[in-house]
Amino acid sequence: MSGQAAEFAELLAREALLLDRGAFQEWLELYTPDCLFWMPAWRDDGTQTDDPDRELSLIYYRGRRNLEDRIRRVQSGLSVASSVMPRVSHMIGNVLVEEADAARARIASVFNVHVHDVRTGRAHVFFGRYEHEFVRIEGRWMIAGKIIRLMNDTIPTLLDIYSI
Amino acid sequence: MQSDATGHQRFRLAALIDDRPEEGIFRVNRALFRDAALFDLEMRYVFEGGWVFVGMATQAENPHDFFTANIGRVPVIVSRDGEGQLHCFINACPHKGVRLVQRQCGQARRHVCPYHSWTFDSAGANRGIKWEKRGCYGQGFAGEDHNLARVARFGEYRSFLFASLNADVPSLDDHLGEARKLIDLVVDKSPEGVELVPGRVRFTYAANWKMQLENCSDQYHFTSTHPSYIRILSERALEETSQVVTASLSNADFWKEDADGVTGGTYSFEHGHVLNWGLMGVSAALPEYERADALAEELGVARRNWIFNMRNLTLFPNLQIAENASSQLRMIRPIAPDLTEMQTWCIAPRGESARARALRIRQYEDFFNPTGMATPDDTVCYEEAQTGMAQQANGWLQGHARGLAASVEGGNDFSDALDMKPARSVLADAQLCDESLFRTYYRAWAQRMAAVLS
Repeated sequence: MSGQAAEFAELLAREALLLDRGAFQEWLELYTPDCLFWMPAWRDDGTQTDDPDRELSLIYYRGRRNLEDRIRRVQSGLSVASSVMPRVSHMIGNVLVEEADAARARIASVFNVHVHDVRTGRAHVFFGRYEHEFVRIEGRWMIAGKIIRLMNDTIPTLLDIYSI
Repeated sequence: MQSDATGHQRFRLAALIDDRPEEGIFRVNRALFRDAALFDLEMRYVFEGGWVFVGMATQAENPHDFFTANIGRVPVIVSRDGEGQLHCFINACPHKGVRLVQRQCGQARRHVCPYHSWTFDSAGANRGIKWEKRGCYGQGFAGEDHNLARVARFGEYRSFLFASLNADVPSLDDHLGEARKLIDLVVDKSPEGVELVPGRVRFTYAANWKMQLENCSDQYHFTSTHPSYIRILSERALEETSQVVTASLSNADFWKEDADGVTGGTYSFEHGHVLNWGLMGVSAALPEYERADALAEELGVARRNWIFNMRNLTLFPNLQIAENASSQLRMIRPIAPDLTEMQTWCIAPRGESARARALRIRQYEDFFNPTGMATPDDTVCYEEAQTGMAQQANGWLQGHARGLAASVEGGNDFSDALDMKPARSVLADAQLCDESLFRTYYRAWAQRMAAVLS
């Protein structure tokens, strides 16, 4: 792994660790205020939707404000789907720098997220690819965009942002 | 339960559904949600014994387009032939019973069985049995039908496609009856009709299919199950930011406990179809608003106003069209007594502006998706019901009793505005939250199951 790839691999691992630990406020701080957070749906057997204003996504947000809503709901104590929190473990690999300069970088990777649903005792896995866009702001890399390409999209009951 | 001479297990209806209208009693037994033998009979008699929804004509728009679906446990293909005619076949090669088409959708003039290459055209006709002449078939073989098996009945109402594996059913128009006028409200939003927005979302939940059937028509759960979502709606409504989506439900009163007067109600129709609805007003928070004036001209003010109302429509047993936070089409597919698969789409008027379409999609994702902020709280409750209903000693549920004293025969002023004649109706304030409409489901269920009930 190049030095640059290793640097971004560490950033991805850091994001994963925060989600695994449920450190959601710190996780939100990785994102720029105008970030893209997008998980496309599947149009048919082999192609994903790619125009979020004309086609359906599983999740599509522009703006960290929306991610804050998601976290607020999970922590509200008012959502039965979030009252017994699933335990999750993110594995991220195949980190490739697709494009990078001093201010901006596009990083491809793959993910496996194992989810143990404590409420039911069931475990399952979500897997697919990430496409991160990092921007350098005041000497620090922040996430300006994250596309989650979910491969197994027959979703058992629910999927929330901590399990992708 | 006992077996009769035909080998059917017979269930006693009165032990499953306690329907005594003269005494103001309607109760459903937990066995309906859990019994494995009953589930097998449901597949055969409810889903494979009558009309079910299979898809939209717009999913196979052009010649030789096809898509695959299920009728109960049976895989089917819906295919448009070269002349533009739609067909519905069993998705199985007559040779060895192999599922002919594996893809979800596509376009093909010929379907070739992957196992022994028997070949069929887009109208289902057999166009080739490999090495037939040298096959030394017995004389009886030529007399058999080698085409794809057609479903017994297949019909379209305004691009909604329905099929039945049983020929002995009413016509599709009779089956849908007055509920057709509610399909019209979905289709008439645009002179160009409706379409499914690209992107199907599929999920499963570990509970009985009837939990979903009921939940769509259950106004009672909304403020209890979705307070986390409602809180976000109210916070967003106070904010002046373009980052968050405008919520259509924020301005409506039908779900707010302190609302005055009539806020909505329910309609029940023959053959198990129901609507629950709430007044919503002609609001710019709905993507339909751009055509508010045009719709009033095309359809009249009353129908236009109905298009803006919250409407959750079930066409028994497997189609739901939910028009509330956005517009959703759902197909319910039971897999086991305690496992159900949902296929869901955003359904939208054709030709709406890019801005309206984007708003519809954004409103949809947050509310309806299993990856959103509302549906997971529903499906988790279904699963908790499935778990809790393990208690069978006193099997009777108390969840089908609200509104029994308010349910009247026929319609009311609101249905008159649509020239619609429901079998029963309830006019409700915000706290009534009718459950008597569930009777319509279970009476239709009992009708379809009549052969195995005593």
